[in-house]
Amino acid sequence: MNIPLNIDWQQILLHLFNFAILAGGLYLLLYRPVKDFMKKREEHYQSMDEAAERARADAAQLQEQYASRLSQADAEIAQKRVEAQRELDQYRAQQMGAARQEAQSILDRAKENAEREHEEMLARAQKELADLAVTATEKLVLKAQGDPYEQFLDLAERGGAHEQPERE
Amino acid sequence: MSKTRRTYLIAWIAILAVLLAGSILAPDGTGGESVQETMRDAVLHESNQINLLGLRAVNPGLVSGMVVTAFLLAVAAGIRIFVIPRFRYVPGRFQLILEQIVGLFDGMAQSNSPWRNSFLGAYIFAAGTYIFTGTLFELFGFQAVSTAGRSIALPAPLSDINAAIMLGVLSYLVILSGAIAGNGLRGVRSALTEISLLISMSFRLFGALLSGLLVTELVYYYITLSFVLPVIVAVLFTLLHALIQSYVLTMLTALFYGEMSEPKEPRLKPPAHGRGKLVHDPTT
Repeated sequence: MNIPLNIDWQQILLHLFNFAILAGGLYLLLYRPVKDFMKKREEHYQSMDEAAERARADAAQLQEQYASRLSQADAEIAQKRVEAQRELDQYRAQQMGAARQEAQSILDRAKENAEREHEEMLARAQKELADLAVTATEKLVLKAQGDPYEQFLDLAERGGAHEQPERE
Repeated sequence: MSKTRRTYLIAWIAILAVLLAGSILAPDGTGGESVQETMRDAVLHESNQINLLGLRAVNPGLVSGMVVTAFLLAVAAGIRIFVIPRFRYVPGRFQLILEQIVGLFDGMAQSNSPWRNSFLGAYIFAAGTYIFTGTLFELFGFQAVSTAGRSIALPAPLSDINAAIMLGVLSYLVILSGAIAGNGLRGVRSALTEISLLISMSFRLFGALLSGLLVTELVYYYITLSFVLPVIVAVLFTLLHALIQSYVLTMLTALFYGEMSEPKEPRLKPPAHGRGKLVHDPTT
């Protein structure tokens, strides 16, 4: 059959054969390697992006944890402060009580001392008064007995008489 | 103007004058072929055929196709061996160009056929590269000896109707394969409704590239038209055709492939009695 326009089936098949070789060769040599590389690069950047996203999420989670910990710490600090204040108050009350007790005991002791000293002073005063009274009486007696010089000598003699037996 | 520059200018003008004189005075290599015969032969290739390795006489377009294929495969092999192993994540200029070309066809396949595109991407990459390079091949004017003993410039492969038919039919078969892969026998039915694609794709390609070839033949047939004008003609009918035809065929193939391979929803029909829910039609 004479096909118009010089269409030739054999040449069409030869063209097809030629194109099939070209298409296969271009696919294996150029299209697939370049596409594979582009895919690899895309995966690389995607993994980088995912890693960055993960790191960001981790950081956000960490921040959230720290914020919650911080708020917990604030609460704990407030609670500790309250407890410390309470302990401090207790301690202060205790110390005040102890101080009061000590002050009371010091006061008591001071009172006792003062009373004792007072009594001692009284005793001393009484004794001094008694001594004074004795001395005054003696003076009066001596004055009634004569010259003081002689009395002195008498006394001295008496005193010597008294001391000698003691030495013996 | 410096003396050296003036010397270069005079030498250039002299060379041009010699070439012009040579072109005019040299004997006509067409062997007295009229413009009608030249144009008719560009379309039908009845007389200027080339012997293919002693097997049979074929149209020059087939030889052009083989040369283009060999060239493209050699370039691809060179790139595969020397360039691709040195690819980096931050690409250089050449790597960027390669990635842009591959990404262009891959993206076209993905955007037109999101559900099934790995084969389509590879096919339109090969087809687009072949059309583009094959059309530009015409610009170089590689010479071959015809069976009639004449020297002829190798044309664009797709200006041969057999090559255009091959690519058009193959593109249709690719679309048909997508339809079958996506929808089975229902896909075949929808693909057959677009059977006109077979002719439209083939002859669009053939007509577009042949028009460029014919205009170029016409321009070069007359010596008076062979200066300055070929620059415009080459740009209009070769560079633009290379771009436009690559884009048109690959875009059409991707578009129809995506349309045909799209999984169709089962047809729903309303119940026969009264109002109610739509039910699945088992016949579809």
